[in-house]
Amino acid sequence: MNQTRFGPLGQLGLRSRIIAAFGFGSVLVAALLSLTAVSLSRSNLIEQREQLLSERASLNAATLSEAISGPDADVQALLGSLPVAGRPSVLLGDEGDELRPVSLDSRFGATTLPVELRRRVLGGTPAIMRYERDGQVLVAAGAPLEDDAGAYFEVSPLDDVVDSINSLRNMLVAASAAAGLLGGVLGFWASRRVLRPLAEISEVASDVAVGRLDARLAYADWADDPDLAPLVSSFNEMVAALQARIDRDARFASDVSHELRSPLTTFNASLEVLRNARDEMPERAQTALDLLSSDMERFTQLVEDLLEISRFDAGAVRLELDEVLVVETVKMAVRAVSPEKVPVEADESLEGVIMRCDKRRLVRIIANFIDNARKYAEGATRVTLERHAALTPVDGEDPAEPTETVRIAVEDAGPGVAEDDRERIFDRFNRGGQGGSRGTDLGTGLGLALAAEHAHLQGGRVWVESRPDGEAGARFVVELPLIEASEEPDEPSLDEAPPTGAVDAVVVDPELVATDRPAGSPP
Amino acid sequence: MGTRILTVEDDERIRTSVRLALEDEGWQVAEANTGEEAVAEFSRHPADVVLIDIMLPGIDGFDVCRSIRRQSDVPIIMVTARADTHDVVAGLEAGADDYLTKPFVPKELSARIRALLRRARSADTTVSRLRFADLEIAPQEGLVTRDGQVIHLTKTEFRLLVELANNAGRVFSREALLERVWGHDYFGDGRLVDVHIRRLRTKVEADPANPRYVVTVRGLGYKLQP
Repeated sequence: MNQTRFGPLGQLGLRSRIIAAFGFGSVLVAALLSLTAVSLSRSNLIEQREQLLSERASLNAATLSEAISGPDADVQALLGSLPVAGRPSVLLGDEGDELRPVSLDSRFGATTLPVELRRRVLGGTPAIMRYERDGQVLVAAGAPLEDDAGAYFEVSPLDDVVDSINSLRNMLVAASAAAGLLGGVLGFWASRRVLRPLAEISEVASDVAVGRLDARLAYADWADDPDLAPLVSSFNEMVAALQARIDRDARFASDVSHELRSPLTTFNASLEVLRNARDEMPERAQTALDLLSSDMERFTQLVEDLLEISRFDAGAVRLELDEVLVVETVKMAVRAVSPEKVPVEADESLEGVIMRCDKRRLVRIIANFIDNARKYAEGATRVTLERHAALTPVDGEDPAEPTETVRIAVEDAGPGVAEDDRERIFDRFNRGGQGGSRGTDLGTGLGLALAAEHAHLQGGRVWVESRPDGEAGARFVVELPLIEASEEPDEPSLDEAPPTGAVDAVVVDPELVATDRPAGSPP
Repeated sequence: MGTRILTVEDDERIRTSVRLALEDEGWQVAEANTGEEAVAEFSRHPADVVLIDIMLPGIDGFDVCRSIRRQSDVPIIMVTARADTHDVVAGLEAGADDYLTKPFVPKELSARIRALLRRARSADTTVSRLRFADLEIAPQEGLVTRDGQVIHLTKTEFRLLVELANNAGRVFSREALLERVWGHDYFGDGRLVDVHIRRLRTKVEADPANPRYVVTVRGLGYKLQP
């Protein structure tokens, strides 16, 4: 995924990103509101306190001015009798330039007040000021006494206000955190809703990918949703277009197939008639006929192979799963395609194993390998069947699925296949390292490519390697997932079956093998 | 009189070349251009083997096959341009005994025809009567009865049943049956056997879904349960 495209959250999944965005957004909004609330209440509470304080200071200054006009007034007692809002104190200017401070509590006496405040009030202006002393926030208001008699002050600590603002702040921080959590939950729920169509689309898409081209999203479910309806309908249109295209390709392949097969049928039948009359032909014509015959055989095989491979390309092939005794099947296939006797060696644990696979394709692969060995290496020398644990996931299979595989290997004693050619040899029309200068009677160049297709179709793979015993020669391997047929037989149990050897016994019947016995010929 | 083969094919070149090749084998060949023509020709002069191309103008090969099957158990070979399951199984379900895919080699065709003719003429067994519970088979007479009721089988179905019955209890792989009944080589098509077994079951079994006689042996093939 492109990191720059999604920013720092890019490495997270869509769902996590939605949840994070919701949570982050909620916290942000809650914090902003809290901050506003805190600062509003803070300024409200403090202003209230200051207003009260300055009103009281002005009133008390007026009261005090009258009371101390008489001689020997007990200023201390007067301060104690005033209805104060803070701690009262005075600075009296009755002794020349020296000011006399009087207070009830020396900790809050006039001398502790900021100089600026004292100067302004003594200058004749009522003032109020907030300040800090010994780590304590205080507010002091002052008003001048009449006739320049001095100044009156009241001091009030703001601790209680600060405390209540602090507890409010703590509450709001907790509330913001809760909002973030709630936002996350909301995001989770929303992402589920948002992602649900995506999950459905992905399900349908994987159906389409495995060839179920009629899979569609149910448009009616989304028709009411202006955001999703276009996505659903364009997705469906895309699948429909894909289906139409695949159908068209398959139809084309089928048409081509028909158009090629018909004349070839005529060619082969006519050629047979000519061959029947070969003895009556002049020598030159016989040579020409022989050339025609051998190339016609190759051409027919080429067309068959091409048609088969085009069916793969058109996606028109279908697996036909059979339950086969894998060892017996391979033995019979080997015997059927190789006139010389090729030994077949199988792991003991594979004896009697009934495997689910496309038998026709498996037999084709083995036949192709043996055919290949005959053409390039004077025949196969050995065929082995091995049971393997599937360490790496087999192509096209869910990694969790097959736990075991069967490897069927055809070995020969030919020149082997050069390292560089081992992959290319399975490409179409590639005949190994020897280039195009092959003899006169070689294959179509599609046999191994078809073997690869047959294997891939059933979740397997093919490759070529050196012989494990170190001798010269190639070893062509097909690996298929070992899907054992379920244990419970649907019909008569295997116990009733005779030993597997009996199956072989009935195959060979010389009388019937000789198909050209003229049983049906006229007298 | 020699063996007579009716070929139904709308492509004149294929029809002519196949006729020439079959005549070289010493057989008499009658030709039909369309399905309708084939059905009419068969009614006038029944053939020993019928070769039907599936893709025909007018009534298609499946219909021709069904139509001929209604009046005769003559061996029928379907010729198809496609080897996909649908065509093959549909052809066999319509009553064909065997099928060939174009382009075929005439030698292959004549081998198939011979195999069909051979079993059409005789079921080679020395036993005169085979009995399994209420099922009775008379190989020589080509007769099968269940509970005394005569069951009508095509020649291929009959041959398949006799093959299994002669070695009752023994398991036959599909390949073995293909070779013994149809004369195919190893690369024959197991579907041929499967469809015929299915057809056979619908005729000889009281409950074809739960066969009593012709049973499947998983992974191996089929056998006749004595």
